[in-house]
Amino acid sequence: MLKKIGLEKLDALASALMERGELFAPVAGDAGVDFQRIDNPGDVTLDFYNTLRSPKEVFFPQADDMVRYRLTHDGVETEEIPLDFEPRIILGVRPCDVRSFEVMDRLFAGGDIVDPYWEERRKSTTIIGYAFDRVDPADFYTTFGIGAADPTGSDIFMIKGEGDLFLKGITERGEELLGSISVLEDVSPENEGYFEEKIAESARLETRILATEGVPEKLEAVFEDPYWIEAAAPCLNCGVCTYVCPTCHCFDIQDETLFGKGARRRIWDSCMFTDFTLHTSGHNPRTKKSQRLRQRICHKFSYYVTNFDVVSCVGCGRCIRSCPVHIDIMAVVEGAAALP
Amino acid sequence: MKRIETRLREEARRLLETGEVEVVLAYGRGYDDRHPMPCAAKTVADAERIVFNEYCTHNMARYLLDYPPGTRIAIAVKGCDSRAVVVLLQEEKVRREDLVILGIPAVGMKDPRTGRIIDASTTCGTTNPVLYDILLGEKAAEPDTSPYDVLEELEGMDGADRWAFWERELSRCIRCYACRQACPMCYCDPCFVDQAEPRWADKSPSLESNLMFHLTRFYHLAGRCVDCGECSRACPMEIPLYLFHKKVARECEEMFGQAAGMSVDDKPVMLDFRVEDADEILL
Amino acid sequence: MMQNPYIPIPVVVDKIITEVTTKDIKTFRLAFVNTEDEERFQYLPGQFGELSIFGKGESPIGIASSPTQPGYLEFTVQKAGVVTSELHSIEEGFRMGVRGPLGNTWPIDYLKGKNVVIVGGGFAFTTLRSLLNYMIHEDNRSDFGKITVVYGAREPGLLIYKDELAAWEARDDVDMNVTVDKGDAAWTGREGFVPAVCEQVAPGSENAVAVICGPPVMIRFTLPVFFNLGFSKENIYTSLEMRMKCGIGKCGRCNVGSRYVCKDGPVFSLEELDKLTKEY
Repeated sequence: MLKKIGLEKLDALASALMERGELFAPVAGDAGVDFQRIDNPGDVTLDFYNTLRSPKEVFFPQADDMVRYRLTHDGVETEEIPLDFEPRIILGVRPCDVRSFEVMDRLFAGGDIVDPYWEERRKSTTIIGYAFDRVDPADFYTTFGIGAADPTGSDIFMIKGEGDLFLKGITERGEELLGSISVLEDVSPENEGYFEEKIAESARLETRILATEGVPEKLEAVFEDPYWIEAAAPCLNCGVCTYVCPTCHCFDIQDETLFGKGARRRIWDSCMFTDFTLHTSGHNPRTKKSQRLRQRICHKFSYYVTNFDVVSCVGCGRCIRSCPVHIDIMAVVEGAAALP
Repeated sequence: MKRIETRLREEARRLLETGEVEVVLAYGRGYDDRHPMPCAAKTVADAERIVFNEYCTHNMARYLLDYPPGTRIAIAVKGCDSRAVVVLLQEEKVRREDLVILGIPAVGMKDPRTGRIIDASTTCGTTNPVLYDILLGEKAAEPDTSPYDVLEELEGMDGADRWAFWERELSRCIRCYACRQACPMCYCDPCFVDQAEPRWADKSPSLESNLMFHLTRFYHLAGRCVDCGECSRACPMEIPLYLFHKKVARECEEMFGQAAGMSVDDKPVMLDFRVEDADEILL
Repeated sequence: MMQNPYIPIPVVVDKIITEVTTKDIKTFRLAFVNTEDEERFQYLPGQFGELSIFGKGESPIGIASSPTQPGYLEFTVQKAGVVTSELHSIEEGFRMGVRGPLGNTWPIDYLKGKNVVIVGGGFAFTTLRSLLNYMIHEDNRSDFGKITVVYGAREPGLLIYKDELAAWEARDDVDMNVTVDKGDAAWTGREGFVPAVCEQVAPGSENAVAVICGPPVMIRFTLPVFFNLGFSKENIYTSLEMRMKCGIGKCGRCNVGSRYVCKDGPVFSLEELDKLTKEY
C-alpha cells in the first residue's frame, strides 16, 4: 500500500508511530543529526543528508548492560537484564544503513551462537527506510549494489516528493504498521505514478565506485607490504571511524562499579586503540598504527568476506566525513589493491 | 598561500635531496581541496605532493613523536603549531638539532567542516611562528584581541550555570579519544584512562566517566596546552573543548606569568618551581 | 529461549591448591551450583572457559581437568591482572561464574591410533594435563598408541601438578619425562632444557603427532627438534594465546587474519598457523 503525509505534519506521524512502539528517529543536535529515542515528536527531522553516527546503536547500544550487580559483605547480588523488548520502530534509515543491518546480522545472528542482545532488538524493530535524493562525494555505496532509492531490507520505504512524504509498505510487517496510522492519507492513482517516478529518479543517483574484484585475496597477499606504513602515516589512532561506522562491531565487556553497585556491560571498543590487543602479560601483537590500520581494512574487506561472504562496509562515507585527518578509506583500499 | 605552498615544496625537495632530513612533515592533498591530509614526505617524489592552503589546519607537531629519537625531521608549522614544538623541546621529547622548522605565518585559515574562516578568538592568537629555521612567508600582524576574550560568556556565568554548561557539552562525548590523539602533548603511554589498575575512569560514555576523563585531561595539560584548537576540530561531536583549555591556560598565565610554548628557554609551569610563584594554588 | 552466551554459569570454589613455591599459580576446583548446568557443560581437552567474578570481570583460562573427571571443573590460574589477582585472594566456598566450554579441542580423533608426544613448559601444561588424563583413562587408553610426555620448568618449585607428575611417572603406559632447567639441593630428577630432552626421548615421526604448549622461547627451540625428527607441520599442534573478551567470536578482538582464536582456535596445527597472517 502507498500512503502520504504533508512534510509539515511529520510530528503527527512521529506521534502516531510512538503509539505503536518505541520510536527511534533522526534528531538535530549540536554536531549534526543523530538517531535518538524520541520523547517529543516535534524533535524528529528528515532534513539531513545522512546522520553523523550510524543507526547501529538501535540494535547495538554503545553501553549495553547485561547483568547488574550489588556487592555486599558476603558476596554479590545479581540481576540479569531481561531481553524482552517492546516493539520498536526506526524511522528515516538510508538504504546503505538498512543494508548494514543485514551485514551485521551475519556476525551477530548467524552461526551456531546467536547474540541475543542484537537478535532480540532486531526482531522487535520495524524499519522505515528513506531514499536519498542527492549524492555526497564521500559515499561509495553503489559499489555494493545498494541503490539510492533501494527499499530492500526496509519494512516501509519513504521518499520525499514536493512537500509530501510518500510511504510504501514493503513487507507484511510494514504494511500492517502503515495501515494502522490514521494520520496518513491515501494516495490518488496519479500520485502512484509520481511515487514510482521519484523512486526511478533517485535510483539513477550513483556514488563513486570502488573496484572490489579480487580485493579480499589481494589484501592477504600484500599483508607484509610497507604500503601500510605510508597509508597509516596521517592516522591519529582515535576511534572516530569505528564509532560512526554502521558495520564496525568490536566491543569490550567490562564490569563497571561505583560505590558497590554496577553492571557488567558490553561497550564499544575500537581496533584502532593502542591497547586493543594488549595482553595482560604485556605482549601486544599490534604495537604500530600501520598494523592497526591494516587490521581494520583487512577485517572489513577481506576477513569478513572469508567468514561471512560479504564486505563489512556499505560505503556510507561517514568515516571519511568524520575522520579528523580526512583519510579516505576507499583510497586506502584502492592503494593496496594497486600494489604490484 | 600559493607562494607559501611553492616555497614549502622547494624547501622540502631541497632538504630531502641533500639528505639533511629523513622526513618532512607537511600537508598533502586529500580526497578534495577542502580536505588536505597530514603528509610525511620521505622522498623527493613525495615532496611534489605537498600542498598548503587555508584548510591546512592540522598541527603537525603531533607526528613528531611517531619517529624514533634522533630522526632528522623537517616540520611545517603555523603559529600555535610552533608553540607545540617548543613545549616538546622544553619537555625534552625532541632535540632542537634534529629539527628543521619551516615557519608559516598563516592568516585566513578555514574550518573544513564549515568552509568559513576560523574565528581568531577561538584559537591561540599567535599568527607568526615563535620558533623557526626558515620562514616561508611574510610575517603578518598579530591579532589585537586577547585569546581569552572568548571566555567572557563562560566567566560571566555563576558556578551552577557553568557546571550545567559543561555537563551538557561533555554528555555528548562518545569517548572516541580523537581529542587526545590529535593533541601533540598527549603522549603518555599508557594514558591514565586506559589503565585498569587503578581504574581512574570507566570505559562507557556515562557522564561521570566522561567528566573524569576530560577534567583530568584538562588539568594534565595545564601550562602545556598551546591552544591550537586541534582537539575541538577533531571532535566529531563538536564539543568546545578549547574553552576549558583556554580557561586553564589563562589561570596558569595569571598565576605564573607564562604562556605555554612561547620560548625554548622556559619550562612548562607545572614542571618548574620558582620561589616567587603564587601561593594561590596551595590555598 | 536459548541460553544467553554472555551470562556466566554459577559455580562454587570447592578446593584451592597452590601449585608453585612463588605462590602465584593456583588450581581452583569449581563445582556447579545447578546440576542441569553440569549436564550441559560437555567439554573436551583443549577448551577454555571465561572465569567470571562480578565487580571485577572475566578472564579466559584453559580447562585443566578432564571430562573423565566428572563433578567438577579445574582451572590453573596465574596471578596477572585484575580478575586473576582477585581470584588469588579468595577462599574456598567463594561463589563465582564460568562461561563455556569455549574454543576448539585438541584433535582427539586425529590422535587416535597414533603415538602422541605431549610437550609442555612451565605454566603452559594446563590443557595438556586435561589431554593426558583423558587419554590414559581406562575407557580411552587403548585408542592411542605410545604416549610420551616431556614437561619442564625453570626450577623444581615451579613445576605444577607435582603429585600427578609422580603418579604419571609411576605408570607403565606413559613415558613420563619431567625435567628442570636447573635443579636444587633436593632435586633428584632430570636436569635439562625441554628441547634437549625432546631430542632424547621423542619417538620417530612415523604415525606420530606432537602437541606442544609453552612460552614462546621454548616453542622456538622445540619445533626444530621435531622438524629434524621428520614431523610434518600437520602433525604438530599448539594452543595460541590471545587477548579475548567474548570468547564466542563476536567482539572482534582475538583474530589472527580471518580466524578467531576463541572460536576457530585456540588449538591450531602448524600447517593451519602457516596459512594465517603473521600477527600473534
